[in-house]
Amino acid sequence: MEGALRVESARSPAGSPGAPSRVTLQAVAHRYLARQGEVAALGRTDLQVNTGEFVTLVGPSGCGKSTLLNLIAGFLVPTEGEVLVDGEVVTGPSPDRGVVFQQANLYPWMSVRDNVALGPRLRGVGKAERRTAADELLALVGLEEFGNARPYELSGGMQQRCQIARVLANDPDVLLLDEPFGALDAITREHLQMQLHRIWLRSRKTAVFITHSVEEAVFLGTRVIVMGARPGRIVFDERPPFRPEARTPELRATPAFVAWRERVSAVLRGT
Amino acid sequence: MVRVLPLIVLLSAWWLVVRLKVWPEVFVPDPRDVWTSLLDSERTHDGQIGLSGYYLHEHLWASLRRILVGVSLAIVFGTALGLALATIRPLRLVVEPYVNFIRSLPPLAYFSLLIIWFGIEDQSKIWLLFLAAFPPVALSVLSGVRGIRQERIDAIRSLGANRLQVVRHVVLPATLPELFTGVRLAIGFAWTTIVAAETIDGIPGIGGLAWSTKKFQQTDVAVLCIIVIGLSAIALDQLVKWLERTVVPWRGKA
Repeated sequence: MEGALRVESARSPAGSPGAPSRVTLQAVAHRYLARQGEVAALGRTDLQVNTGEFVTLVGPSGCGKSTLLNLIAGFLVPTEGEVLVDGEVVTGPSPDRGVVFQQANLYPWMSVRDNVALGPRLRGVGKAERRTAADELLALVGLEEFGNARPYELSGGMQQRCQIARVLANDPDVLLLDEPFGALDAITREHLQMQLHRIWLRSRKTAVFITHSVEEAVFLGTRVIVMGARPGRIVFDERPPFRPEARTPELRATPAFVAWRERVSAVLRGT
Repeated sequence: MVRVLPLIVLLSAWWLVVRLKVWPEVFVPDPRDVWTSLLDSERTHDGQIGLSGYYLHEHLWASLRRILVGVSLAIVFGTALGLALATIRPLRLVVEPYVNFIRSLPPLAYFSLLIIWFGIEDQSKIWLLFLAAFPPVALSVLSGVRGIRQERIDAIRSLGANRLQVVRHVVLPATLPELFTGVRLAIGFAWTTIVAAETIDGIPGIGGLAWSTKKFQQTDVAVLCIIVIGLSAIALDQLVKWLERTVVPWRGKA
């Protein structure tokens, strides 16, 4: 497992000043043509995400947070400015930037295991090797018994775990998560937040996580960004003072956490 | 029991109508005569082989073979055309109207042309069945490809797939359910076209046999042909449905 999830322990701690920038948006803006004319999805935005940071992006609908994520993923090309990952301009999707969608997008014509092994298969990894890797990842997300099942036989939460395992199989440098738990019930959601947090603790992968939930943003993020709408822009960008190791279910009830959550909520109401 | 009920009702009504002599027997044959012609169709009787010189299974197989060849060609070219139409926009703008045009024509409308071009033997028949069968395949594949959610494509692209891998691992399998719908429609059209295809030089052929009965008012053979064509069409459709459940177990579930 440690092989598949490279640990970046040699780097400086998450989000600390001086950590190398992994994802950079340089004066990026995005507009698209709609029936009523040109729509500014994302106003001119500068952003640096450091290696090992877990950035959560929260904002109202239409604030451009998904646009921002799709620009980093390479699904969209910015109308202005440049997106850089490790100093290279993003021109399209890449297995170095794993994307987790709100809908699991698992392929029903493949078993759960073959879905997880898809990335390695695409780059030509042999059958036995990718099968072993997939089974390790399935165990990591607690789906070791479901390798032979079809995706539609899994519950929504299990499908999301499978999707996360599939993305991790590529060992990407950057994780991009677009409201991955948005369609799940509250209990499953908290459970998966913890699971994702534990995975991140071990791998310290750079992550950009979009959510509608302030609680989720503050709980998971080493850095919380609030976006405002029309045009989409960053209105708040701070680091919650909670150590990653301290993020346990009990944290949610502490006065410090509640106060922080309310602060972000107030910013969000003001947008 | 519920499944055989329609059959029992029909046979009883049929027998009653004949028994009461509602219509002359040349209009509505006696069920026993149909049964006899079924027996005759598989044996040599009065020095004649089967019906019109061939056994029933030879008639049926001749038609089935034409349908299978025509539909197979339709699957190959229809799938290719559907994929091309879905991915090349200029091609779709130019060609899709013509596919729709051919689809809306009754096959008999262009049968004369096919006979003039390809002669009265099997070639023109297979062309006719092919032309009847390929538009539903092409249009189903087209709508299948266009119905794929963009995220399904984006997901595999971000896993590292190139264009060919996107087609192979996502576009083709995602289109399979629609392809099966198209194939079932195509086989249906082929069956409805088979009698037309076999009106000229159609013996052996179950459609040709049905068509030939008008000459000597062999209503019993005509009814036998109707039953055989109907049952064969249903059986073939069931076979394709079974194949679909095997190949596309996720249909309707994801």
